[in-house]
Amino acid sequence: MKKYIIISALFMACISILSGCKKDDTPVDEDGLLITTRTDCYVSNFELLGPDFQTVRSKAPVIDTAAGTINQEVLYGTDLRSVWPQFSLAQDCKLNPKVTGKTDFSDLANPRQYTVISGNRQIRKTYKVIITVQTR
Amino acid sequence: MTINFKSYIPFFAGIVLLFAACSKNDDYAVPTPKNQLQNDCIKRSLGPNVVGGYIEFAYAMAIPKAKGKLVSAQVEASIPGGAGTYLENRSFYTNSSGVDVPVKIGDPSVTNGNVTTTNFTVDTNAATLRFFYQAPDAARGKQVSFTFTAKSSNGETVTYKMGPYSVSKMDMALDLGVTDADSSYISIADMKVYRRSQPVDPAKIDLIYMYRTFTTVTYKHALVAPAAPKDYLTDFVVPAGATNDVRLVKAFNLRDQQLARLPYGIFIDDPDFLAQDFTNTPDYFLNIKQEAGAWIETADGKYRAYIYFNVVDDTKKRMTISIKRYTMK
Repeated sequence: MKKYIIISALFMACISILSGCKKDDTPVDEDGLLITTRTDCYVSNFELLGPDFQTVRSKAPVIDTAAGTINQEVLYGTDLRSVWPQFSLAQDCKLNPKVTGKTDFSDLANPRQYTVISGNRQIRKTYKVIITVQTR
Repeated sequence: MTINFKSYIPFFAGIVLLFAACSKNDDYAVPTPKNQLQNDCIKRSLGPNVVGGYIEFAYAMAIPKAKGKLVSAQVEASIPGGAGTYLENRSFYTNSSGVDVPVKIGDPSVTNGNVTTTNFTVDTNAATLRFFYQAPDAARGKQVSFTFTAKSSNGETVTYKMGPYSVSKMDMALDLGVTDADSSYISIADMKVYRRSQPVDPAKIDLIYMYRTFTTVTYKHALVAPAAPKDYLTDFVVPAGATNDVRLVKAFNLRDQQLARLPYGIFIDDPDFLAQDFTNTPDYFLNIKQEAGAWIETADGKYRAYIYFNVVDDTKKRMTISIKRYTMK
């Protein structure tokens, strides 16, 4: 009887060791994000928040994926030195550079550029964020 | 066959544990009330204790009817309170409609130095009196504590200690009115609003209030520093010598309970002013909305303040503002 108990315990241990060593077939990138098969690569919406986390947009953004531009008009008096951009991306995409907080958009002559990277990490699309301020 | 008794030790230990877990709880007994003068106290006011503001307590005292009646109640503060300090001479109860109804129990309290006393003039053996301590300037940045004492006719005395409580360094000014027509100048140093129609020291003007409307952009209620770009000052003629350039950070949903007096559990205290970053911030705030606010740093860096916009009235072109201010230097 004791012999059978030992054998079955050893068998169970082998199964758990084998299952523990099963290779993970879901790859992740350097940010720990899942790499998928998706090829969609675009910005679907753009938002710009002021220091009080309220929108500074005066109208909806014009996003031209073919030209790689995001045209955004902001309210009169917006201080563009510290605004918070928010990008809505296609599924599984990521953005480079990452948005980590308030960003300076005040250099209107040199618009900031952001690159969208597709879910399969093979396609890249760069957008130029062109800001204009309402004039009186 | 030999029996190894040691191997049964865990089994017996388990049985003992099971019995211990199943032991019957003792019956609950109603506690016997103390047959003497007793007291209790709670702090009613919430949030930072600001100089000029009140720290409120409710002090309850009672003695069994057969033992006697209440004679006096007194509070000793570690730092003498302001002129507004008093101990209620009315005991309150809450009626069925939720309204606090007062019952007078004695003459108004008398304050001598740091001791405030109310003497009972009615025959009562239980009362709850509220104590309002107006934080004086001497307590700014310090801690204050209180000793509540009740005396009864049979000579008994009980005391209850409360605190210590920190008194903030900041100042507060409530409900200052600014108008586009005249009362346009805000001085953070003085925590006041000055009229354009009266002589004013231009060095004291930190912000200018104005109301403007344009067809192409939204401007409306605005606070602009005298040194702000001319475009944001619109047609406003800044007094000669007014050159202060404050830094300003907009805030929304920051409705400090002491400034707004609205039921939001948000309180701005001393550390919040120190935590603000005024790097790359503008010197104007356009299109101000009611219940919004703004963090301010004066041009000389001496003061930081939070201005809350209580009322924003488009029709009358005016605002009501409340300010908390912290002295940095």
